[in-house]
Order: sequence, then structure tokens, then C-alpha cells
Amino acid sequence: MTTPIASARRDERARRWRRPTLWLRLGVLALFVLVPVAVPSFQATDLAIKIALFGALVASYDVVIGYTGIVSFGHAMFFGFGAYSVALAVGRFGAPTYGHLLLGFGIAVLLSALVATLIGAFSLRVKLIFFAMITLAFAEFAGILAVQWSALSGGEDGLSPKMPGLFAVGWEGGRVLGVPLTGKLVTYYVVLAACAALFLVMARFVASPLGRALQAIRDNELRAEALGVPTFTLQIVSSSFASVVATIVGGCYVMWVRYVNPESALGVPLMLDVLLMVIIGGIGTLWGSVIGAAVLLTARLLLPDLRGLGTLLGGSEIAQRLTERWLLVFGVLFVLVVFFFPKGVLGTTRDALARRRRPA
Amino acid sequence: MVEFVLEVEELHTYIGQHHILQGVTLRARRDAVTVLLGRNGAGKTTTMRSIIGLLHPARGAIRFEGAPIDRLAPYEIARLGVGFVPEGQGIFATLTVDENLRVAMHREDAPSRERLRRMLVLFPDLERFRHARAGTLSGGQKQMLAIARAFVNPQRLLLIDEPSKGLAPIVVEHLIGALRAVKHETTVVLVEQNFAMAEALADDFYLVDDGRTVHEGPMAALAGDAALKKKYLGI
Amino acid sequence: MKRAAPVLIVLALALLPLLGMEPRVYLTLTVAGLAMGMLIFLVASGLTLIFGLMDVLNFAHGALFSWGAYAGFGAVLLLDRRAGWIESPSVALNALALLAAVAAAALVALVLGVALERVIVRPVYGQHMFQILITLGASIVLEELIRIVWGPNDQVMPVPISFQGSWDLLDVIVLRVPVVAIGLGLAVYVGLQLLLHRTRVGLIVRAGVESGEMVQVMGHNIYRYFTAVFALGSALAAVGGLMWAIFRQSVSPGMGGEQLIFAFIVVIIGGLGSVTGSLIGALMVGLSYNYVAFLLPKAALGVNMALMVLVLLVRPTGLFGASR
Repeated sequence: MTTPIASARRDERARRWRRPTLWLRLGVLALFVLVPVAVPSFQATDLAIKIALFGALVASYDVVIGYTGIVSFGHAMFFGFGAYSVALAVGRFGAPTYGHLLLGFGIAVLLSALVATLIGAFSLRVKLIFFAMITLAFAEFAGILAVQWSALSGGEDGLSPKMPGLFAVGWEGGRVLGVPLTGKLVTYYVVLAACAALFLVMARFVASPLGRALQAIRDNELRAEALGVPTFTLQIVSSSFASVVATIVGGCYVMWVRYVNPESALGVPLMLDVLLMVIIGGIGTLWGSVIGAAVLLTARLLLPDLRGLGTLLGGSEIAQRLTERWLLVFGVLFVLVVFFFPKGVLGTTRDALARRRRPA
Repeated sequence: MVEFVLEVEELHTYIGQHHILQGVTLRARRDAVTVLLGRNGAGKTTTMRSIIGLLHPARGAIRFEGAPIDRLAPYEIARLGVGFVPEGQGIFATLTVDENLRVAMHREDAPSRERLRRMLVLFPDLERFRHARAGTLSGGQKQMLAIARAFVNPQRLLLIDEPSKGLAPIVVEHLIGALRAVKHETTVVLVEQNFAMAEALADDFYLVDDGRTVHEGPMAALAGDAALKKKYLGI
Repeated sequence: MKRAAPVLIVLALALLPLLGMEPRVYLTLTVAGLAMGMLIFLVASGLTLIFGLMDVLNFAHGALFSWGAYAGFGAVLLLDRRAGWIESPSVALNALALLAAVAAAALVALVLGVALERVIVRPVYGQHMFQILITLGASIVLEELIRIVWGPNDQVMPVPISFQGSWDLLDVIVLRVPVVAIGLGLAVYVGLQLLLHRTRVGLIVRAGVESGEMVQVMGHNIYRYFTAVFALGSALAAVGGLMWAIFRQSVSPGMGGEQLIFAFIVVIIGGLGSVTGSLIGALMVGLSYNYVAFLLPKAALGVNMALMVLVLLVRPTGLFGASR
């Protein structure tokens, strides 16, 4: 005899294949797969993989901020750990090999798990606001460390490592189905696969009993505690998990870009980008991260055209400066989105659809 | 002059998604003590917090001296002459006894200071520890301070939530005496688990169960009704 | 005894470096450290009151620091070009110029603070996440506005002549600006304590730090106090920014963001809502930074992080914070 829960689960799984969102997601994935072979422009390929990478990074941040309900500013730091670790492992020990690559990832993952657990252990005891400040302090500290410890990190100039074997720029492997196999192409698909895999893992995580417990904590911590949920432990587990994911994404990022420096991989600008992307996409909607990443990265690509607009506005110095300082536009956008679309694109869409389905 | 200083009609209040109050009704007669009784979790504190404006009701009406107050902010309700002594007293622990009393004043003027003096006479312990930090007081003294604070302003309605909670029996005796001495000055709505205390002070009662008013009447009637007491209060 | 402990620790820490350097160097560093501490205190005191009372994490605080510096910068430039008060040898005129700069900074910040609180912060009360995000956005906009109006580069801050240079006391060189900073900081501390403990407004603010709810129940419109405290905190940050600009003799658009991190550390160390805590914390941070910067330059910021971590382990609510 099956329980109501078991039969409900069975029904849900059967319905899964008929849900439109699944086909939508498969369609998006197909898009990513086809871009490098279908579209001749390198910019498009670069944009696509960056959307995938940042989509995964922002999704991992969403796990922390949207599903666990903790505001952290250290997330970019973990991305940086991954990026730097892989860059160092591959670049500093002679000719790069796959072993180095794996070593880089491995060390980074361990380091991140350790640091995330430690920070969580002594900061999550206090109020949310404290935690935010503390993670900010750590992130800034990491940034300063990266700049000052130049012997290891290459200082402000950063590192430009070369990737091993199949991933090297110069590698060529003939043709498959009429498409020339290059190192870049291989890297693209491997990184894409990694991002997709990470996404699936995260989706599983939030849908699991652990993930649901976290949402209970996010919604009402006192009540969750009263129900016997070990909030403290779960919060640490969740943030460590998310940090590790961010680290792996960081390593993949270096594999594609083959360059890392404090500002692009660790710093406040990156953290701000992640924040804006998660808000645009929607906090608490894992898939919204991809939308947020797509919107921001595409907009930034088209920005040089925005500068042209500045000269159109009469060429006055203030107008000129306004368009040069895109960060100002960014900031205003940020505030407006938080004010009017706190649930982001996906969240607002979901609400709208729900309201249409249920004429309340 | 309206007969009932406070009227609560079919009050529904939500805390988050939880429908805590599902139709609470009560009326407090002028210059009388009305007690709200019920088991733990019945919704008594939620009712008090809704009246003072810390929670906004979803449905129903709250009227003070005939005028609706359910959309007002807590400080506006307080200024109308409604005092609130919450569960756990709500004392400012890092402020001194004297400072606690002064914060409670709507305005630091002569009449308020006169009432302050009266309170210190009524509660001599407070005079003794006047410049000590309120956090260092004993449980009973804190409760006295909480009540004294409420009387520093001219109140037309006083809401007191579980004053005897956590206090030793002898302290409760003292508390009953103190409340008896001031009860004639104002209308009181009391929430109390300690039935003996309720019996000693109250004129009317309202019984709340599962967020709803289930019974009401003069206190004398309840005192003799063993079946009712057993059913809703477990005593 | 419990409250004296942190003060004793500070004293002990302060005297420790004497073991590693000669007295003259020690004195210079101590003065510099105290001055830096006082300036951080200005910023941190406002921040801690805003946190303590309103439970608001104000990322825009750093932007107010910068705006204060630039407002003062503007005032000083004006006085210099039009009236030559800066170059004048008269101490009185120099002091007046400084006062004018301080006033300009404070005024600009008050107006800005009230506007920020009303428009940006009030709509998101109680929602910590959005507070953080929205004040962050506001701070980006404010910082960018500085870059647009004043240009993105560092600029030299003219310092009134009488405050430049140093005094020669008993063969020890004591710089003048740090001493002025220390004096200002002490004056602000005393002023704040008087405000908090001897006025009715201060009384209500202190009560509100403990429980905003109870203060409302007592009949006070706590939102008005929120605005006032936010404005005051902003003004303090602005004056801190101005003094910092004088201290470093330069202004840069990003200066607020850089100093905000120190202020955060100090607030954590000192405890939310405690002005005395932020003073002690700020002095600790300023002194330790300067001593360590002399002995091991690269470890300077690390020491402050370590301090913060230590305090968090021993007393998570800060040295003077109320345990909530």
C-alpha cells in the first residue's frame, strides 16, 4: 500500500515529462551546444560560454542568498580561489598536464570548503548583518592579499597560464562532421558540460529534503529551530556547498579565459556583477541566474554603442562623462530593480503566471 | 460617554501565513477589570498585540472610546491613552529605573513627574533602586517597574499581559495588592494564566480558545463553574 | 570590572610595541595611530548607532564619507581662491577655514542623509537583504556622481598653513594635523555621550537601541528618531571623511569604500549600538595598524582582521555590545 506522499511523488515524476519548463530548458541547452558551430563569430561563442559560467556562479550564489537566506559578500572570493588555484597549478610547475589541472581543482575545492566552513562556524552565530560585514571584510582582505603577495599571485597584473593537452590553444584534432576540432572548441564543450552538471547538482540540492529544510530556515528561522531542524549545521553545509561550486566555476573560467587577476576574479566589481545578475534573474529562482547573466553580459557587450549615444546628446562634457561612467547607470539600475522588481525576471514571471492560473 | 472603553469585534489576525486569531470578540467596561483567559497558544497575547497596533488585523474592528484604532501605529494608540505592559515586562535593561520611567512619559512635564512621585511612593523598592540599572532588578521588581511605567501617563485603558509569569507566589500576592490599589483609576484588560490572580482582580471574563472567543460573562459566574474551567483551562 | 577589561587590553596593547622600537618612533606612531583611530571612530560611531537603533546595514555610509570630504574640499578651494584663508598666516583665519569646511561637510551630509533615509532606506525596513542591496546601489551611484562632477583622479587637498607641519616638543616631532584630529575626535565623543545620556532625545534613542517596539508602545514615533540618527550618523561620517582628506592631504572618489571596511571591523569589535565601544575599537584598530605597519608593513590589515576574528570568538556581540 503506498502512502499519499509516495503516490504524489510518482504523479509528479510522470508529469515532469509533460511540463513546458523542461522542454524550455532543453531548448536553451541545445542553443548553447549549437552556438560555436552554427555562429561564425567568436564573440558569440565567448558570450555564450561566459553566460554559462556566470549563470552557474550566480546560481551558486542564489543557493546562499535565495535558498538559505544568508547575505554573503565573500562569494566572489571563492570563485577567485578556484581561478587562482588552477592558474597556479597549471602555470607554476613547468609544462602543464592534466594532472596539474586536477590538482588545481582539488586544492581549491578543499581550501574553499575549509574556509567557508570556518567563516560560517564563527560568523553564523550572530545576526545576518554581522555575517554580511564579516564576509565583506574577508573578501577585501583576500583581494588585498592577492595584490600584495605578488610573488605567488602575480600582483595586479595577474597570471596568464597555458592549458594542457586538449585544452591548449594550439591543439588541433582534425575534423568531426565537417567542424574543425580545436583546443578552444574542446574547452568550450567541456566547460559547458561542467556548468550544466553543476546546475543539475544544485537543482537536486535545493529540491532535496536538505534543500527544503533550508527554505524552512530561510522563511522562519525560529520556527524551524523549534521544529528540530539543526539550523546552524545546515547553514554551514549549504554555504560550503555553494562555495565549492563557485570554486569549480572559477577553475573552469580560467580554463576558458586563460587569464586571472585580482579585479576580474576576486574583487568587489565581480561581486557587484553577481549581485546584479541574481537580482535581475530573481532571488530564490535557480534558473533565473542564467537570465540575469545573459541580460547583464549582453548589455555590457553592446555598451560601446551606448557611448556613441553620448556624442549624439550634444557632446557636452557632462553627457560624455555620464555615458563613460556606465557604473552610474549600473547603480541606478540596481536600485530600480531592487525597488520595483525585487523578485527579478523569473520571480515576477512566475508570480504573474500563478495569478493567471488561480483567479483569486 | 461610551459604555465600553474598548471594543474588539470578530478580530482575525495572521502572523505570516498562520491564522492565529479567528474571530476574537471582547468588550471592556469602563473602570472595570476584564480578564482574557485561555490555554497556552490560544491567542491571548496576539490579541493584545493587535489592540496596541504591533500587529495589523486582517479582518474585524477594534474601537477605543468608540473610535476605530485598527489602522493606527502603536505610538498613536499609546498617545490616545492606552498603556501596554507586555509579557516579559519589556524593561530597558541598560537604562536605570529612573530613566525607564522617564522614557515612558509622553512628555516630561510637571503632572507626569507628580505621577512618577506617586508611583515611587506606591512601589518603595523602585525608589530604593532608582538609579540602578533596570536589568539588575529581581523579577518581581521588574514587574513593579513595568506597571509603574504604565501609570506614569494618564491612561484610560491599560493592557497587561501575564504579569504573574515567572514570579514566586509571595511576589504574586504583592502584585495583586499593588494592582488592586491602582485598578480604580482606569479600565484594565488583563491576560492571566494564574486563575487565583484573575479571580482576585477581575470583574468580567472572556474565554479564548483556538483564536476564538468561546465564552464570556461576569467573573463570579466563572468561579463557580467547574465544568467550564476544566474544559477550557484544564483546572 | 567587566567594562574595564577592554580598556586595560587597549593600554597593554598600546605599550607593547615599546619593546620593539625607540621611544621617539613609538611616540610618533602612537600619535598617528590615535589620530587614525579617532577618524575611524567618527565614521564608526554613526554606523554603530544606525545599526543599533535601526538595524540597518548602511553601505552608503562610505559614500557619505567621500561626499563629506569633497564638500569640504570644495569649501576649502573656494576660500582659498577667493579669500586666501588657507595660505594666510593668521591662525584665526585658518581655523575659520577649517570650521567652514567641517560645516560644509556636515550640512551636505545631513541633507543627503535625510534624503537617503526617506527615499531609499525607509521602504525596506525589516528586510535586511534588500537594505544591504539598495544601500549598496545608492553608494555606487553616489560615488560615480563624484567621479562625474570632480573627475576620477586623486586630487590634492589644501591644508591651512597653521595646521601643516609639526610642533617640536622636548625634541620629539609631533605632527599638527593628527593632534587636531585627536582633539576633534574627543570632542565628538564627549558631545555624543552628553547627547545620549543627558538629553531626552538621547534617552529615547538608547531605549530604542534595546527595543524599538517598546519605545513605540510608550508613545514615541520611532521613525522620526530613525531619520534623526541616520542624519547624525551621516554627518559624522562626512566630517570623518573631511578630516581624513586633511590627514592624507588628498581626496579620491573611492576613499569612502576603502575606509568603510575599517569602520565595519570597528563596529564588530566594539559592539552594535555602543559609542564607547566604537571608540575603544577604533583606537585599537588605529594603533595596531600603525604599529604593525611599521614593523611588518604587509601584515597591517591582517592584524585588524585577526583582531576582529578574536573578538568574534570571545564575545560575538562585541566588547561593549548588548547580548541580544
